[in-house]
Amino acid sequence: MRNFFTLWKRELTACFLSPIAYVTMVVFLAMSGGTFLMGVVRNVGTNQPLSNLLFAALILWTTVLVSVASMRLFAEEKKSGTIETLMTAPVTDVEVVLGKYAGGLSFVLIVALPAIANIFILAWFSPGINTTAVDPGAVLSGCLMFFLLCAFFMAIGLLVSMMTNNQVVAAICCFCVLWLVLLAGSLISALPLITPHLAEFFSPVMHIDDFSRGSVDTRPVVLYVSGTVFLLFAAVRVLESRRWK
Amino acid sequence: MIKVEHLTKRYGKTTAINDLSFEVAQGEIVGFLGPNGAGKTTTMRILSCFMPATGGTVKIGGLDVFTHSIEVRRKIGYLPENSPLYQDMRVIEYLRFRARLKGLAGRKLRMRVDEVMSACGIADVRRSIIGRLSKGYAQRVALADAMVHEPELLILDEPTIGLDPNQIRQIRALIKSIGKRQTVLLSSHILPEVEMVCDRVLIINKGTIVASDTPQNLVGRMKSSPSLVAEIKGPTEAILSKLRAIEGVIRVSFEVSDEWGRFVCECDKAADVRAAIFQAVSANGWMLRELREEKRNLEDVFVSVTTTEPADVKEMN
Repeated sequence: MRNFFTLWKRELTACFLSPIAYVTMVVFLAMSGGTFLMGVVRNVGTNQPLSNLLFAALILWTTVLVSVASMRLFAEEKKSGTIETLMTAPVTDVEVVLGKYAGGLSFVLIVALPAIANIFILAWFSPGINTTAVDPGAVLSGCLMFFLLCAFFMAIGLLVSMMTNNQVVAAICCFCVLWLVLLAGSLISALPLITPHLAEFFSPVMHIDDFSRGSVDTRPVVLYVSGTVFLLFAAVRVLESRRWK
Repeated sequence: MIKVEHLTKRYGKTTAINDLSFEVAQGEIVGFLGPNGAGKTTTMRILSCFMPATGGTVKIGGLDVFTHSIEVRRKIGYLPENSPLYQDMRVIEYLRFRARLKGLAGRKLRMRVDEVMSACGIADVRRSIIGRLSKGYAQRVALADAMVHEPELLILDEPTIGLDPNQIRQIRALIKSIGKRQTVLLSSHILPEVEMVCDRVLIINKGTIVASDTPQNLVGRMKSSPSLVAEIKGPTEAILSKLRAIEGVIRVSFEVSDEWGRFVCECDKAADVRAAIFQAVSANGWMLRELREEKRNLEDVFVSVTTTEPADVKEMN
């Protein structure tokens, strides 16, 4: 447990020591803010909830954020050879995977947090907007789904990063996989024998849409929690696999 | 301390280590030598629990490296080849992070970090970012990391690479002083250094041990005695045949250096042929400028046990 916190702290500091992190942060905040604003302008006069627009914009750019935040987790260690010093220290594979995962995920959440504040800033400065347009409950449930998706995406990123020693390859592969996951609902619905209703179970876009309207459903929660746990388990196994070769 | 039995490692079809067995006792400083690609790094990686063996067992302090990996890792300090470090951290941050991972805490942690920094001569760069350090400093940071938790066994893969002669001396003294209390296994290509530091030398070639003894014994056991270098002015062919005729001379090779011929005689161990060479020269009216005995050293042992036999035979004919 102590090692987990040591690794977590090291990983989080490492994120903030790299210039890439700051570039990503600025790009993420600017782009997600811009997308949110565009959504608001386009939907003037409709009864689209603001929280709905916010989280749609956030999740869109989270794919970039997670790809960049996760790419260095293992790829960098493998490239520079520090994986050798790390794995010969008395730390277990589980501690390494969880420590790195927690470090990456907390970085993503720290960066995304100010973006969630956009909605309150908008409401504050726009007297035209009815205060009831921002439903704190809906924002909260949106945050929950956003957190779950970040956790799930980060686990994907970690696994991808583990499979290569090139950070650029890791980022691009992760980005592609994340978009496939994001569009999974639409992709599945194109298959024969799949009803649109069934496809909705696997659509993160639908889930974030539902949750950011304030409708909380346990099924997606279970899906993403178990998905994350499974991916992290797989990551531990991949890391362990060096002991079978 | 280390007990390696029938260790084998295969990468796909290529065999890196083949049936390697050796032991290292507590408190020994053992030099691990071999040509590039002989399996040194692979062996060290297996010893340090970074990768498993294909076959055989490795026990460190009585514990198996595969089944008791974590306990073994607490006992060892490992310096990998090329000293990989986190480039973006400061020296002191890095060492504290590593010390914490290795189970140190609180005052003990700070004390040990300060101790190893001064022992390795990196106290003056404690606040520097590792990525901006010179190779020599980085190497010493990695060494400090390997010994921060006072491991019972230090495994050092080329610890003095990239250091200048002064730093090499410093590190050599450090390793010697560590060797009084702890066990050290180090690999190096700088043979005089190994000769000076190590109690015992293991030479491996193509994944098997080809020699294991103290440096002195290894040198003493060489088949032929020191070679003689003689610089003689005269007809080359005649000199060669006269020299070969001397009893005790095994083979003579000829190297030209200006008008003087340079002859290298390899002689029998027991024979001292220096007087005979002088006589041969004076009897024929040639001139002798230099007659020098070349002492055998670890390098010769290394070359003789790691180069293949057929090449030697060819040279003889």
